[in-house]
Amino acid sequence: MNKTFRLGLGHAVFIVAFVAVWELASRAGMLDPTFFGRPSGIVAYLWNGFVVERNLWNDLFYTILAATIAFWAGSIAAVLVGLVFAMLPRVHKACEPYLTLLNAMPRIALAPLFLLWFGLGVGSKIAVAISLVFFIVLSSTVAGIKGVNSDHLVLSRALGAKPRDIFFKVTLPSAVPVIFSGLRLGLVYSLLGVVAAELLAAEHGLGQVLAYLQSTFDMNGVMALLFLLAFLGLSITVAMNWIERRLLVWQ
Amino acid sequence: MNDMAAARPNGAPGAAAAPAIELNDLTMRFGVGTASTVLAVDRVSFSLAPGEFVSLIGPSGCGKTTILNLLTGLLAEEPEGDVRVLGKPPSAGNPDIAYMLARDSLLPWRSALGNAAFGMEVRGVPKKERERHALELLKEVGLGDFADKYPKALSHGMRQRCALARTFALDSPVLLMDEPFGALDAQTKLTLEDVLMRLWSAHRKTVVFVTHDLAEAIALSDRVVVMSARPGRMIADVPIDLPRPRSVRKLQSDHRFHEYYAHLWGLLEQGVGDE
Ligand SMILES: Nc1ncnc2c1ncn2[C@@H]1O[C@H](COP(=O)(O)OP(=O)(O)OP(=O)(O)O)[C@@H](O)[C@H]1O
Ligand SMILES: [Mg+2]
Repeated sequence: MNKTFRLGLGHAVFIVAFVAVWELASRAGMLDPTFFGRPSGIVAYLWNGFVVERNLWNDLFYTILAATIAFWAGSIAAVLVGLVFAMLPRVHKACEPYLTLLNAMPRIALAPLFLLWFGLGVGSKIAVAISLVFFIVLSSTVAGIKGVNSDHLVLSRALGAKPRDIFFKVTLPSAVPVIFSGLRLGLVYSLLGVVAAELLAAEHGLGQVLAYLQSTFDMNGVMALLFLLAFLGLSITVAMNWIERRLLVWQ
Repeated sequence: MNDMAAARPNGAPGAAAAPAIELNDLTMRFGVGTASTVLAVDRVSFSLAPGEFVSLIGPSGCGKTTILNLLTGLLAEEPEGDVRVLGKPPSAGNPDIAYMLARDSLLPWRSALGNAAFGMEVRGVPKKERERHALELLKEVGLGDFADKYPKALSHGMRQRCALARTFALDSPVLLMDEPFGALDAQTKLTLEDVLMRLWSAHRKTVVFVTHDLAEAIALSDRVVVMSARPGRMIADVPIDLPRPRSVRKLQSDHRFHEYYAHLWGLLEQGVGDE
């Protein structure tokens, strides 16, 4: 307890000092606020956006909505396809070269295409994010299922387990930790995909706001949004860690 | 209690006549029809009466594991000769057989109780019943207080106790054990041998026990079957005439134990020189 408290205190001191130096340097004219913004301006921007005018809530909502939908749709599809591959190795073999090819494509470069196909709205953002999430979760599902301990398989067979039982009671549970780390990565990439697509063109969303702020050289706003996005990503990681600890107590 | 026959409760008449396990001129070739045919087991014959404990010893690669696998019917290739388990030819998933391996192979996401119940679970024993029985066996192996612990929290010895509980919880009349204590330190091994002896006396199974440890083979078995280096042939079938119940620890100071040891060692040496 004492240790974590001291560690937390250390971080707090560091952050306060960092912010203070930034603010002072900017006021003293050593750091040009047109390029770096300044802490007081960033806080003011966020205060205005979330409390006074409240326009950021709407954009935050769209970004989270798109990332969530993409994450769920992409992961569920990927886990299902992974399971099909595990049960039908021939299908896996047949599909593998195409999947590798698709996965090798830089997905962000597909964003303009998706904008054309699915419009400026949330659909194109979801499409870009799914194209990232799907492959990440699929490859971790396949790896998890392949990584099953062969001793466990031998033993289960020797004890008389049917293939179905072996799959659901041995193979699948043993794949869960690997699938989970894929999900964790998938969630982060889902946010990344949505924001990247929003940066290109969008009706709503934090990425769209960011693009606008950049074009008007509002550095306080840009910095504010970057911190906001970092904070979102961090919350995702913390939440996933928490779920993982609960779910995988046996590890 | 010392005598096998006397120890058997309600031994049905005639049951003693039918062997629990029977190998007749068993020969196993791997990769028949390919360039790399391996003769793994060469005309091995022995049989076990119900409730008998027989150890199988021999140099590495002489086909001990292969013989156990043949009894389970899990091998892809067919042997020559005749194998019978309780009068029936081997079949995969035979509920008459429980198998135990050197590595405990506990499922890390299941508690000790869940692992002890796993065999029963895949054999369709209802949940209540299997958990009650699994807990009973965990208590018998001295893990009663650890039922809800995950394998990562158990020591090597405890994990192997749990594997013993899982094996005995199946209530299969035939146990096949492939170096179950091979990976344990000497001290833990002695303790677990005693646990095994206790379980075996209480549950009376027919056991084929593969080991590289002569002392272990003598201490546990009614008979020790000695095999030669590959291709595995039978060199000898040595009855171990030591009184039961045995304490593995106390046997160390029994001169007959050491005579058996020297005898078996001689046979093994002769089998190695064979090739
Ligand atoms: N599935 C298989 N296909 C081909 N050869 C095999 C197969 N299983 C075993 N063998 C061969 O059969 C021989 C006997 O193997 P086995 O595993 O039965 O030996 P073992 O007596 O159990 O040895 P150890 O004491 O090292 O465990 C070995 O030469 C092995 O390479
Ligand atoms: Mg072996």
